[in-house]
Amino acid sequence: MSLTTMVYRPTEARLDWPGRLSAAAAVVTLAAAPFFLAPYATTTLTRMLVYALLAASLDLLVGITGLPSLGHAAYFGVGAYMAGWIATNATPAAPLPLLAAAVAGGLAALAAGWVAVRSAGVFFLILTLALAEIIQQLAESWQPVTGGSNGMYGIPATRLGAEPLTHVAYLHWYVLGWFLVGILVVWALSASPFGATLRGIRDNEPRLRALGYQPYRYKLAAFVAAGAVAGLAGGLLATQQRLVTPTDLGFATSALALLAVVIGGTGTIWGPCLGAALVVLVRDSLGPSLGGHGPLVLGLVFIAVVYALPRGVAGVRRPRSRRTATR
Amino acid sequence: MPDWLDIGVVAVLNGLAIGLLLFVVAVGLSLVFGMLDVLNLAHGALFLTGAYLAWSLGGEHPTWVSWLGALAVAAVVGAVAGGGLSLLTEPLARRSHLEQALLTLGVALVVAELLSAVFGDDVRGVNPPPGLDGTVDVAGSAYPSYRLALIGLGAAAALAMHVVVERTPLGALVRASVADRDMVAAAGIDARLVRAGVFVAGSMLAATAGVLGSPIYNARPGLDTTILILALVVVVIGGLGSIRGAFAAALLIGQIESTGRALLSDLASFLLFGALAIVLAVRPRGLFVTANGGRS
Amino acid sequence: MAGSINRRQLLAMLGAAGVGAVAGGCGSSVGGGGGGPATPGGAIKVGLVIPQAGVYAPLGVDMKNAWDLWLERNQNKLGNYRVTTIAADEGEGPQTGVPAVQKLLQSDQVDVLVGIVNSSTALGVKDTVTEAKKLLMVSNAGAGAITGKDRVPYIWRTSFTNAQVSSAMGTYLAGSGKTAYAIAPDYAAGAEAIGGFTAAFTAGGGRVVREAKPAFGKTQDYQPFLSQIQASGAQLTFCFFAGAEAVAFVKQYAQFGLSTRIPLYGSGFLTEGGVLTAQGDAAVGVQTTLHYSTELDNAANQAFRSAYQAKYNKPPTVYAVQTWDAATVLNRALRTATGLQGEAIAAALGSVGTIDDSPRGPWTFDGQSPKQTFYLRKVEKRGDGLVNAVVQDLGASSQPT
Repeated sequence: MSLTTMVYRPTEARLDWPGRLSAAAAVVTLAAAPFFLAPYATTTLTRMLVYALLAASLDLLVGITGLPSLGHAAYFGVGAYMAGWIATNATPAAPLPLLAAAVAGGLAALAAGWVAVRSAGVFFLILTLALAEIIQQLAESWQPVTGGSNGMYGIPATRLGAEPLTHVAYLHWYVLGWFLVGILVVWALSASPFGATLRGIRDNEPRLRALGYQPYRYKLAAFVAAGAVAGLAGGLLATQQRLVTPTDLGFATSALALLAVVIGGTGTIWGPCLGAALVVLVRDSLGPSLGGHGPLVLGLVFIAVVYALPRGVAGVRRPRSRRTATR
Repeated sequence: MPDWLDIGVVAVLNGLAIGLLLFVVAVGLSLVFGMLDVLNLAHGALFLTGAYLAWSLGGEHPTWVSWLGALAVAAVVGAVAGGGLSLLTEPLARRSHLEQALLTLGVALVVAELLSAVFGDDVRGVNPPPGLDGTVDVAGSAYPSYRLALIGLGAAAALAMHVVVERTPLGALVRASVADRDMVAAAGIDARLVRAGVFVAGSMLAATAGVLGSPIYNARPGLDTTILILALVVVVIGGLGSIRGAFAAALLIGQIESTGRALLSDLASFLLFGALAIVLAVRPRGLFVTANGGRS
Repeated sequence: MAGSINRRQLLAMLGAAGVGAVAGGCGSSVGGGGGGPATPGGAIKVGLVIPQAGVYAPLGVDMKNAWDLWLERNQNKLGNYRVTTIAADEGEGPQTGVPAVQKLLQSDQVDVLVGIVNSSTALGVKDTVTEAKKLLMVSNAGAGAITGKDRVPYIWRTSFTNAQVSSAMGTYLAGSGKTAYAIAPDYAAGAEAIGGFTAAFTAGGGRVVREAKPAFGKTQDYQPFLSQIQASGAQLTFCFFAGAEAVAFVKQYAQFGLSTRIPLYGSGFLTEGGVLTAQGDAAVGVQTTLHYSTELDNAANQAFRSAYQAKYNKPPTVYAVQTWDAATVLNRALRTATGLQGEAIAAALGSVGTIDDSPRGPWTFDGQSPKQTFYLRKVEKRGDGLVNAVVQDLGASSQPT
């Protein structure tokens, strides 16, 4: 058995009726949230959206292509720094910082993936970690551009037209809108023939090669796509938090994203979003009041999930009485 | 330039000391992965446990008794922890290896929090045992005698491991498992015993390495992550499952950290991971490829 | 599969958790700007932002100890307001620090914020605090920009700046006529400290022969630098390290035999608090500058030290004193402030005058940061342990520009 043998979930790229209904209901609830949530809860929800997009982009790599990355936060951070830099030095007018962020994330992923994608399994895991550490060190050392170890603070609020987005609710809707764009991109890639090829690479690469495909190109393309979406998520972080620090690029953030993907269920896209929400909830809502024991709770939750939910939250079966013919 | 040469001698010697310490730290991780395909991410936490044990039993003024006692206790605690890890990962043995690795990550988080609760968050200083806490004159500079002792100890450990792996039946079992696990199972050896034994051995090595490394690293929250990443780098560069590879990689990293930092001080922060990236770009499976290297 | 649960059970659990979380977060974010209702008259809510987990946790403990002690000895009142303290965990950096501040401001509706260890967090909440119009009293973070080029009227400080502490040492050592080797980790605080030292040292006629910047958080072995120190011919070493790196550097400095040959000087954090205990005998003879020492001989410090020792069974540290003074200063300001809004308290802070009952000696605000006396301290054995004995009073100085 190999390191990357995930439990394979049958392709359900086309949403059936219950799926479409719950997706629509989720979007409506998220949009209506500022009307019934207090400001801090809304801020936390917005932050959840940012990390959910990061987790979804990682799922494209881990769950769909079978490339477990421990350094995905690097492209998240590159996007965040780019968005912050554009907002501070060029213009904070929406959506420029975000577009720049996505492009930056994709380019960084291209440069790194060109080297990383040659390896697989544990080697890929460690190599992505190494590349991320190098990028993080760059962020810490390149003080004139990134602000060094203090980070990039005081990023101006994004402007929609002439309005700066400082109100908690408007910011939430702005982030939600772009979150949906990002998720749609990931979902479209996953549901397309490209996505099917990626799943084929995940499940049986030699066979695909025998069929005439060139896995390296597809893996690199997936890496770049995941990096671009992660960059977009980073841009949203810069927009929401108006602060970017080297920690956002670091091992802890990458590990958090991987945790979210596993908890949520690899390969399902919406599962990792839920996983990210849970992780952010524990860290931000419960953490400050837990007297510093947030990591302990996270560790225990993690162990519990790995045992009880083998396919993550998304992989939980329907109750037996309603079992359908498909596995 | 005699000065430069003197510095050079000390730097190379120090690289050797740090490298051999890194070997002792990383070999347990290499063993577990090589034989079980499980990346034991709790390795750093076990090291930290050993370091804290060294502090609590001897601390700033250790005696030889407390020092050897700390080594013994660390070995026992490591063995017990290894057994525990083996039990915890047993139910997941049939599932993906990523999940087993992630389980050990969860365990690492919990253990780190427990250590912080028991020993507090302050840095705890540990000193070498009496007799080894002075300096020795090396090429005109003073060099700590404990680090020289580490060279001897690390070399002895490497030699012992080589002898065990190459010359004993147990070693034959290890080599066979690394080469072809299924065949070993087919030959009738109980997989669960092998699994437990490997975890116990790997964890014991990690904890005793913690005791040995504590005069240099001290004991503090966050050390577990630092050590884990260092061990991962060594093990991956060396080639997973290869003890010879871990040895070579550890020495390489030790030299890079010492002489590299001295020569290329501006790039010092990038040295470790830059080296890793370069090695993996050129040899994607590490320096010494084992049969398992092909499996990912 | 044995042990796994089905979807109904899972949805039930998530639903319960979700209801619990949402119930706590009920309200509305839309309509009506500003924070919620102000705290009813006569009472004040203070948000204490301190690290409760991770590498800075020991500092957070000292800060909370001092805060609680001050309130205990002052009938739990600041000005004439009854105090409710809500602590939030700053964690190890802004990823957890910024949400902690946001939680205190938005969810707990505090009137004043006190604390913050991490400079990055303090700089990062600048806009949050300004938009909320609440006062933040920084009681540790040392980045100069907080009250320098990036200052805002709502952020004041009772602690120090990194350059301020090290430039006191630079001025003192310039007169010794010796050459120096300067070393500090490669991050913002280290750069500020070295910058402050070098500027003061060279202005006084000294010469820094070499400067080194070990990787921050990644260096455990200082042998390459220790060899360099020997080879450079410098007659003294100045360093800035804190926490685990301070322990490692000072111990290795002694382990390599340098402590007897090239005297070691540093910013006070090198030997402050738990770090000194961990260094043990290796630290004896190390000299540092800081705006506080437990051995200070003034009445306020005697009282403070014995009260702290009696309650917490250990000596106080500079981190405790800074937070103690935050309470003192807020107490004075709130007696004359027109209200609890940020502008009102900031205006009152501008006229608190000299804080003459502080354990660190008398000090005043210069701008929004302290102008205070620095002391030359030397680590000595006393009884069973080590202390930073006061060697000399170096006079008062402000945050360097």
